[in-house]
Amino acid sequence: MAEAGRSVEGGSVEGGSVEGLSVEGLSVGFAGVRGRVQALDGVDFAVPPGGTLGLVGESGSGKSTALLALLGLLGRAEVAARRMAFGGADLLTTAPALRGRQISAVFQDPASALNPALTVGLQVAEPLLVHARLPRAEAWAEAAALLAETGLPRPAALMECYPHQLSGGMKQRVAIAMALAGRPELLLLDEPTTALDVTVEAGILDLLDGLRARRGLSLLLVSHNLGIVDRLCDRVTVLYAGRVMETGPVREVLGRPRHPYSRGLLAALPRIGRRDGLAPIPGALPDMTRPDPGCNFRPRCPFAASACALPQALAPAGLDRTVRCHRAGELAHHRWPAPPPTPAAPPAGATLMATEGLARRFATMQAVDQVSLAVRRGEVLGLVGESGCGKTTLGRLMLRLAASDSGTLRFDGAMVPPAPSLAFRRRAQIVFQNPDTALNPRHTVATILRRPLDRFGLAGGNAADEIARLLALVRLPASYAGRYPHQLSGGEKQRVGIARALASRPDFIVCDEAVSALDASVQAAVLNLLAELRARLGLAMLFISHDIAVIAHLADRVAVMYGGQIMEEGPVASVLAPPHHPYTAALLSAVPEVGGRRARHVLPGDAGAVHGGRGCRFALRCPQRIGPLCTDADPPWRDAGPGHRIRCHIPIAPDRRVPR
Amino acid sequence: MTARGRITDPLRAGGITLTVIAVLAVLGIWRTPYDPTAFAVRLRLAAPTLAHPFGTDEFGRDVLSRVLAGAHLSLAIGFGAMLVSLLLGVPLGLLAAFDRGWLGAAIMRAADLAISLPPILLGLLILAVTPPSLGKTILAVGLVYVPIMVRLARAVALGLLEEDFVQAARARGEGAVSILVREILPNAWPPIIVECGLRVTFAILLGASLSFLGLGPQPPSSEWGLMIAESRQFLDQAPWLALAPGLCLCALLVAVNATGEGLRARLDPSHG
Repeated sequence: MAEAGRSVEGGSVEGGSVEGLSVEGLSVGFAGVRGRVQALDGVDFAVPPGGTLGLVGESGSGKSTALLALLGLLGRAEVAARRMAFGGADLLTTAPALRGRQISAVFQDPASALNPALTVGLQVAEPLLVHARLPRAEAWAEAAALLAETGLPRPAALMECYPHQLSGGMKQRVAIAMALAGRPELLLLDEPTTALDVTVEAGILDLLDGLRARRGLSLLLVSHNLGIVDRLCDRVTVLYAGRVMETGPVREVLGRPRHPYSRGLLAALPRIGRRDGLAPIPGALPDMTRPDPGCNFRPRCPFAASACALPQALAPAGLDRTVRCHRAGELAHHRWPAPPPTPAAPPAGATLMATEGLARRFATMQAVDQVSLAVRRGEVLGLVGESGCGKTTLGRLMLRLAASDSGTLRFDGAMVPPAPSLAFRRRAQIVFQNPDTALNPRHTVATILRRPLDRFGLAGGNAADEIARLLALVRLPASYAGRYPHQLSGGEKQRVGIARALASRPDFIVCDEAVSALDASVQAAVLNLLAELRARLGLAMLFISHDIAVIAHLADRVAVMYGGQIMEEGPVASVLAPPHHPYTAALLSAVPEVGGRRARHVLPGDAGAVHGGRGCRFALRCPQRIGPLCTDADPPWRDAGPGHRIRCHIPIAPDRRVPR
Repeated sequence: MTARGRITDPLRAGGITLTVIAVLAVLGIWRTPYDPTAFAVRLRLAAPTLAHPFGTDEFGRDVLSRVLAGAHLSLAIGFGAMLVSLLLGVPLGLLAAFDRGWLGAAIMRAADLAISLPPILLGLLILAVTPPSLGKTILAVGLVYVPIMVRLARAVALGLLEEDFVQAARARGEGAVSILVREILPNAWPPIIVECGLRVTFAILLGASLSFLGLGPQPPSSEWGLMIAESRQFLDQAPWLALAPGLCLCALLVAVNATGEGLRARLDPSHG
């Protein structure tokens, strides 16, 4: 694949030698509050013309810093490198002249990358007017062509639109068109799909892959998501705390990782079809104000030995691979230690929480449309769907945190009124997505945990003991009681959020994207914790997530939501393997999995589209629509086995299998 | 390393300056180098000398003594009015943010109405009907700034009410007062403290304008704003008349704002 784009425009190839991006010994230091932070420490990587490199690692590993260094956008940081060159030009001095021209970037959040006050056309044409000095009409035509190239429909009409009129995926395509306007040879991508739904992400990845083949673009992809790196890249460089741990071909590194850190990252990934415990990487990033002269992963490494305190060099390890670990060879056949087994969950009991025809409308959008769902005692019900499908609203309705327009809610057999009793509040709690906003930054952990104890009269004689018990429950040291949220890591904050929800000894918890904002290794630890708590305490959960792999890992049953309605509901194994409903199939096939090579269904349109209220909500995007029936009549519920129902016009046939 | 303990720490520098100003202001009620009201016809509009470091005014009164004697009035107007606007404005603003119904709307429309009137007019309205006094000046100036505090507190609280920790409080079934006092207020302080610093200085100047119109402290009082107003007609002959109270007001402003900024930083648990 990489050979396709060897012809590089711009005359930067000299004497037949192929020069792409080449970075050697890149070091970046920031002046921090507690001293100089060594964000990058002698990092090497290279992207040949037409090649694609993925930079992976947890947050704080320095991936984005490396990218900003290439663009010369690090401001007052100290940037030093033995060599940082692109096409023969020294980036240490010429980066400002190259960025936006030979080198362009696409960032994570398309909403903030576009100026909300200017039309799309103006923003795409601007680099053509300013950099390429094209006449206005020509620039306009070229901009429309770029929008068409990024797969946007009706580019001429789109040129007149403002960013708020576009969906997230369309905005990211516009951002890509803007990046292409400078006719770059190298495209830097900083988590380009992290803010998008998987179905939209799949389309963007296809687009990037196509651009690379068509234009001979080189891509440098920064991502925490190993699945999309696997899908898009030839080579991968694993960064940890500012140092390269491992570099090599993607299939090799992700298929047979050699460095303990890479192995830990892969062991922490939830995968569809596997229910055994995930192996989190213990510990947290080291203090980057005092770089460890030896291996800086040593404190977290299960294979650490005394010689790891010596400086480690990147050493060749097989064909085209380098690894920074002196034990990589001898460890090749050691497995990453398995996590302690999760205690088996007790069988689910009687229905605890049941909704009947629950509905909520926001202005023109029916966010939740006649939803009837039940969660049994001790059961985890996964709720999956794209953003805008109404899953968060449904969670809030079930806790009476948002008012429903119609429908009823039953909890433990009794009706829950719109203003529920304190007893209901005590028994039904919530864990939030974003650990940074879930905790009051002005309260200590002890105050945060004490509030529900006081509120529900559970403190009894000794609140301090109860707080210590809660901290122990979520595996935090009792000394954390005196800390403020900013003194905790993301995973620790999320544990405090879970402890707060557990403080009232609830029977039912809504986990709203509770692990989505966490790094893979931390996510694994929190998922294990939730699985363990659920088994030990007999908790019932509504586990809301856009990540079907996480749901498949934790949930007993899964409900798939689209356009405010439940499309399919049933036991995880029965719903996902193989998928029946076309929407479930599309969701599942879009998930970028490491080593996954399944056919993809890219859905047209986006999930936020307003629906007329008649027919199947999914009909307009459905790849298997059978005709006008789908758009005219509400689909019936069909029985697909024990506890498994599907809302679809397509009859369930035994031979109906969506290819995987 | 934090700046704590060094003179560059704004809280320390501002606090020391404020304390010095406050001590001088209190002392100035009883003791000044000269009698602040004693006329000395031969020394009219004398330039600053060692004997009269800030010069003398059109009646030959020592400007330094007058500045010292009037300091407590200016501080009382500045801080008093700030407290009035703070104590009325913040609760109303928080309430307006929390209540999306008629109460919140009523508070905000009343605030809009008050803000649409020129501050002087509003002050006049309050003071004109009854004879002026220091207490009423403080109240009038403070009331003028209530709507500003209402809008600020509301804007800050509106953002915070969207945060998940407020949802968590709702999930515990907490009421409005509890959410506002325990969850919102501790996070709303920083911008409010900074605004309070500004209000102190604005209040002194507005108090001066009211004095000028005959509705604040009256001559021979030497409240700073009044002194600046009176010096206007001698600006070309004796600029020191305006300079002395002006510099004092400036020092007070810097000190108050530095203290506010320092407090804001010190109250933030993620700082230092």
